[in-house]
Amino acid sequence: MDHAQLARASFIVIPLILLALLIIPGRRAVRLPLAIIAGVVVAFGLGAMMATGNFTYMISFSTMAMIYAILSLGLNSQWGLSGHVNFGVAGFFAVGAFTSALVTTTMPTGALAAYSQQAFGLGQPFLVGVLAAGIVSAIVGYLVSIPVLRLRTDFLAIATLGIAEIIRLIFQNERWLANGPQPLRGIPQPLGCLFDDPACSWLPAPVAAFLQPLGPRDYIFFYFLLVAIILAVIYVALERISRSPWGRVQRAVRDEENSAAMSGKPVTFFRIQSFVVGSFIMGVGGAIYAHYVVSIDYSHFNPLFATFIVWVMLMLGGSGNNKGAILGPFVVWAVWTGTQSVVDLMAPVLSLISPDLPSRSAYFRWMLVAILLAAIVLYRPEGIIRERKRVSDFMKRTGKD
Amino acid sequence: MGDSMPLLKVDSVSAGYGDSEILRGVSIEVGKSEIVSIIGPNGAGKSTLMKTIFGLLHPRQGSIHFGDTDISRHTPYQIVGLGMCYVPQVANVFTDLTVEENLEMGAFLLKGGNMEERKERIYELFPRLKERRRQRAGKMSGGERQMVAMGSALMLDPTLVMMDEPSAGLSPKMVEMIFERIAHINRDGGPAILIVEQNAQLSLQMAHRGYVLASGENRFEGTGQDLLNDPEVGRLYLGG
Amino acid sequence: MSMEKSAVSEEDVSSDPSAPKPAARRGLALQNRSTFAGVLVLILVLFWVLGLLKGASAGDLLSMTIWGVMLGGIIALGAIGLTLVYGVLKFPNFAHGAFLTIGAYSAFAIMQMLPQGPALKPFSFGWEMIAAIILALPIVAVVALILDRVLFYPLRKRGASLVLFAMASLAGTFFLRSVIYLIWGSDFHFFYPGRPNPALHLPLGIRVQADQIFVFVLAIVLVGLVYLLLERSRMGKAMRATANNPDLAQVRGINTERVIAWTWVIGGALAAAGGVMYGLASQLRPEMGFFLLLPIFAAAIMGGVGSPIGALVGAIIIGIAQQLSASFLNPAYGPAVAFALMILVLVVQPQGLFGQSGK
Repeated sequence: MDHAQLARASFIVIPLILLALLIIPGRRAVRLPLAIIAGVVVAFGLGAMMATGNFTYMISFSTMAMIYAILSLGLNSQWGLSGHVNFGVAGFFAVGAFTSALVTTTMPTGALAAYSQQAFGLGQPFLVGVLAAGIVSAIVGYLVSIPVLRLRTDFLAIATLGIAEIIRLIFQNERWLANGPQPLRGIPQPLGCLFDDPACSWLPAPVAAFLQPLGPRDYIFFYFLLVAIILAVIYVALERISRSPWGRVQRAVRDEENSAAMSGKPVTFFRIQSFVVGSFIMGVGGAIYAHYVVSIDYSHFNPLFATFIVWVMLMLGGSGNNKGAILGPFVVWAVWTGTQSVVDLMAPVLSLISPDLPSRSAYFRWMLVAILLAAIVLYRPEGIIRERKRVSDFMKRTGKD
Repeated sequence: MGDSMPLLKVDSVSAGYGDSEILRGVSIEVGKSEIVSIIGPNGAGKSTLMKTIFGLLHPRQGSIHFGDTDISRHTPYQIVGLGMCYVPQVANVFTDLTVEENLEMGAFLLKGGNMEERKERIYELFPRLKERRRQRAGKMSGGERQMVAMGSALMLDPTLVMMDEPSAGLSPKMVEMIFERIAHINRDGGPAILIVEQNAQLSLQMAHRGYVLASGENRFEGTGQDLLNDPEVGRLYLGG
Repeated sequence: MSMEKSAVSEEDVSSDPSAPKPAARRGLALQNRSTFAGVLVLILVLFWVLGLLKGASAGDLLSMTIWGVMLGGIIALGAIGLTLVYGVLKFPNFAHGAFLTIGAYSAFAIMQMLPQGPALKPFSFGWEMIAAIILALPIVAVVALILDRVLFYPLRKRGASLVLFAMASLAGTFFLRSVIYLIWGSDFHFFYPGRPNPALHLPLGIRVQADQIFVFVLAIVLVGLVYLLLERSRMGKAMRATANNPDLAQVRGINTERVIAWTWVIGGALAAAGGVMYGLASQLRPEMGFFLLLPIFAAAIMGGVGSPIGALVGAIIIGIAQQLSASFLNPAYGPAVAFALMILVLVVQPQGLFGQSGK
């Protein structure tokens, strides 16, 4: 393993330790040392065995999967915890992404201003952007939830689908807000200077020397670390929440709305709270996505698609279970990216059927994900990992009337 | 009990929902043109028994024969086709349909034929319905709804009518009238009637025979009069 | 579903301590309903005023209103099918928009196989269009039936929750869309590329295309047929009965599976007609059905879920509102206008203009 690869591998030690903590059962005293050993061994093992290209590919794949995992956790805190059917994930995702972009970029000046417009550009640091994204998304969620959460589940599904569509229409048509139909570019990458030459001036010399062989193309390794930490924070917070008295109330509201109401709990208020928490998390996910892809436009937030794939991920992983909400995105994203190559391999065969077909082959993957969702709904609606404690038979309507 | 083979024969049936078993080996028989009353405390499984007979729930064990057909795996509409009708306790009319349409739905399986004649016969039985035949059933009183429900169940000329608590929630006067109609329907070789009632006193008086159901099993059986006079039944279930 | 309905109504009662007694409530509901209809009309008037303030002429606004009625006809064809399925099966079918798209594209495919005849003046289309519509209806009906067999029938057997039905319909819509993209690609198509379709000049400065009138008349005829079917035919009454109380329908000897199959057939066929009409009025694109999905849901909910007449009235209101809003808003926000009206309905009058208030 050369110096550069060693430096790359060092970035994935902490994410792997976090992963190990998630997987290894047992008491904390045993888990922590085990996890640290596993993290270090696997990280440097991977670094030693994998070629740089594959290594980078694996990490960028995992970064995207983790961004989806954040969305999936956000959705889980609405659906799994409280039973809200939010078919508008894409809307909150978009609000978060554009908010963070507007907060962290600076107003375009000079020649740039002629073809790039935005309402404001505050030039704030990354974390401020992420926080702002969560807050604005939570505010949107709050405003949405006031009229909508009193409604039946089916009306909520329709209403959220509509809200996501309208949010997308706004970002598509309002040039002044975030450059309208044109992409909003130049979203800063946090601590991008780590990989510049020379590196950030404040960096201690040994660290700078350690990172010296890495270039901007290796930035993904740092971002991977950053996303992993944010994901871990969200996961731990949600686990705490769902075990707290508040979480129990949420489940009670979900499963037996009437009896919770009868025991004197303000049901609507509780329902709004969990919806707002989920919106916040989705907003954070949007921010992290924006800083990852650096340039965003409305088409990234196609309501059906950005919403739909997150639902597939959560349903597959297991609704109501935060571990499942993280596992699902990895599986589905692997299927999604993996099938690209299958479809590419099929191209010669497809062109025999119709000359147009290879250029449309991307839609085979849509079809595949649609079939995957249908299969989950039909054959395993509880997902890979069941909700730990099934307070009631929520997924199935009981036969008794 | 009649001399020949019974019209309905429920033989050691067990049934329930999910993990809970509500019926534990219930056996009852109903003969032709017989009124049979099933009484028992709340939660004894009376309604579950009716739903199981009618194919809304399938038995886990035991068999159900209607005439010489085994109906334990039949769907409700197949059972209706064999000549059994059911009057559920609640939500037993189509609230959005008129009285007349409700009756027509009772004879849904009848294709063409003497629909008008059959409706006319029901109107004779319940003249009140004729007056209000264009009215939506949802706007009627509880007693009137019960008439619509019974009328719909009688549209196909069934050989067995099952009624789940026909007196529930009705005024004493209306209860009396409904029971009088039930007896009237049954007279002169009319359909057999299997009735589940909270109002045990009244239904046993009218019934030819009765069963007492408790915790999913039959506890007592006998003629209506015998059960009424049985001191233990009286003490346990008749509040006397 | 019925459980949820009752849960909602109970919540209504508890949230409003001064809730009057049932009979009085019914009276109040009726009163609210006409008040609400008045509010909707006021909103349309407001749109007129806004249009005038933005400098549109009265003639323009009148034309826009009439176009809105035409658009309402198309929306109604989708909304009636949706509301029937919603009423009988009690779940929002998100694949309904895809039925419109499939209808339009199958008519397109049929027309490409037929010889192109001259236009039937004053319309822009020829006989092959009529033939294509007639053939597209059963195609979509069959698609809807297959979707039901594969996705919804197993869920019904299991007594699955409403959410799983909705998810399954989302899977269905994606599947159908991917089929359309694979066969026809993402480009726009036209039934008659480049054929002129001049507007007729009517009194009062109204301009409409003959095709638009055809679309509206066809919509009205189909709606009328559905109404007759529901009110007069045995199967239609059984459909209403099943929508009203599915358990009792079974008890009465109605084969509810057959009723459900007919519901899909009618819903699918109407959606096919709506899709072809929309394709004729604008163009064919894979997202056309999804674009109409919000207005369709808005119309069905505004009219009251399960009520075809309600869906027609709701569709016309939505259509007019969408077209008029273009006089003072970016036309791209048409779906947003439909959506805002839908939210208003849900908040103020969730059972809609013609919905039954339940058991």
